[in-house]
Amino acid sequence: MSALDLPLREQASRIASGDLDPAELLDDCLARIEERNPDLNAVVATFPEESRAMLEQSPEGPLRGVPVLIKDEWPLPWRAETVGAASVPGVHLEPGESGPYRALRDAGAVIAGVANMHELGSSSTGNTSLYGAAHNPWDLDRCPGGSSSGPGAAVAGGLVAGAVGADGLGSIRYPAAYCGLTGLKPTFGRSAMDGHHIPNTETIISGPLCRDAADCRLLASALFEEEELAAGQVGPLRIGVAREPYWTDCVEGVREACEHALEALRGSVGGELVEVELPDQELILPAALLIAQSEEAGRLTAANLNSLSPELSVINRGVLKLRAVLPATLTARAVAARTRIRRGVAELFDDVDVLAWPTVPAGAPPLENPTIELPSGPISADAANARQGVLANLSGVPGVSVPVGLDGGMPIALQLLGAWGSDAMLLDAAEALERATEREFVELRPAAVA
Amino acid sequence: MEAGSAFEVYLERALELFGIEADETERMVMSGVWSLYEPGMEQLRDADLDEVEPELHLDLSQAPPR
Repeated sequence: MSALDLPLREQASRIASGDLDPAELLDDCLARIEERNPDLNAVVATFPEESRAMLEQSPEGPLRGVPVLIKDEWPLPWRAETVGAASVPGVHLEPGESGPYRALRDAGAVIAGVANMHELGSSSTGNTSLYGAAHNPWDLDRCPGGSSSGPGAAVAGGLVAGAVGADGLGSIRYPAAYCGLTGLKPTFGRSAMDGHHIPNTETIISGPLCRDAADCRLLASALFEEEELAAGQVGPLRIGVAREPYWTDCVEGVREACEHALEALRGSVGGELVEVELPDQELILPAALLIAQSEEAGRLTAANLNSLSPELSVINRGVLKLRAVLPATLTARAVAARTRIRRGVAELFDDVDVLAWPTVPAGAPPLENPTIELPSGPISADAANARQGVLANLSGVPGVSVPVGLDGGMPIALQLLGAWGSDAMLLDAAEALERATEREFVELRPAAVA
Repeated sequence: MEAGSAFEVYLERALELFGIEADETERMVMSGVWSLYEPGMEQLRDADLDEVEPELHLDLSQAPPR
């Protein structure tokens, strides 16, 4: 077995003890990208010279010498991000030292390449990008999830053991779910974000996608910089379960696997399931969509929109122009709804430790036609996924997606949300869930890379 | 969405007002996306939010003050 297939923490530990040569590990990583990326299209740029320079200059940090990937959403000193698009309206993207770059560098990590993403971060599927779609290693004809499609496909495909993504409306958790990984959406504002092309964002946050929660803890700790995500033992959990529609409107295999996992977790750590209702549930999705879109709305001028690159997908051309004409009163109402929803969520967390429901209501759909069939009928995967994912972004709370099974051969996942600042506890709960299921699902590998 | 629906009438006038050009395919995308999220937008439009006290000094990394 190649050292590349070891967990991130094991790679770091062996390098620190002198048992693993980080230069050889980087060479193996670059060779594997060359070997497997033609099928996965998970990596859109490598730069061996800069990667080797990072390694030569790497400090004695917790990730010293470990190769990782970063989503195409932040600049590097030698490469401007593209956000998976031919252009970003009203934005001139330039190389630079972004927050995630500095955090990785200061932790000693080596950025081996830039990972693909859905064009402009606008979808949970990952089926559209300037570079072409990334492919799900579990089935190359299926969506890897988005918008952090490349990080998901790359880690599941064994190119690296960890990658940095961004989650604005679920964009770390969806690819983690589709690709059988663990993904953490941190509490808003807790992880490095400097240099992002939407500096005023109130929804987007950087976070890790790894094979399990312990690796997520290590990579997230680097991104959190000053804040340590210490491991602990999770005690009896009060698990809030909002049934309708988060559990009921899922395909049967997803619902059953998530129920089984939740029961295993409760059986392992103790506690109780508490039936809850989310505050203003029907307003969560529209409020989140409106607030997220408003972050870039100031740039959606006629001059910018009438000169969109013809290389931009027709979906995004239409969506950008639609955003430009949405009534401001709706966005103002979204802000008021967020206020009430945040207060309601805070009250909920007086009574429960975590909220739990399936990360996505169905496994990864085909790249060619990302629609899914739910009990409520056929629906675009984007609309259904957003329903499951956006509460964390709207309110600011952290969320983690944990693999809990397969349905039709494709990974499925349980999502846990915690109160603001409970990121470490969520990872403790994710690790408890892994133990409760005997790590069966975090150890699964796609046949193509097993 | 039926041609001449309230949304399409609004869209035509808004695009004209803002000077935004859109071809037929882009207009179809706009109508399709709007129809997907229209029920939620209508609920937001109609929700009683008048009594919501604004959250001053918003800090999304923390629970709201209570």
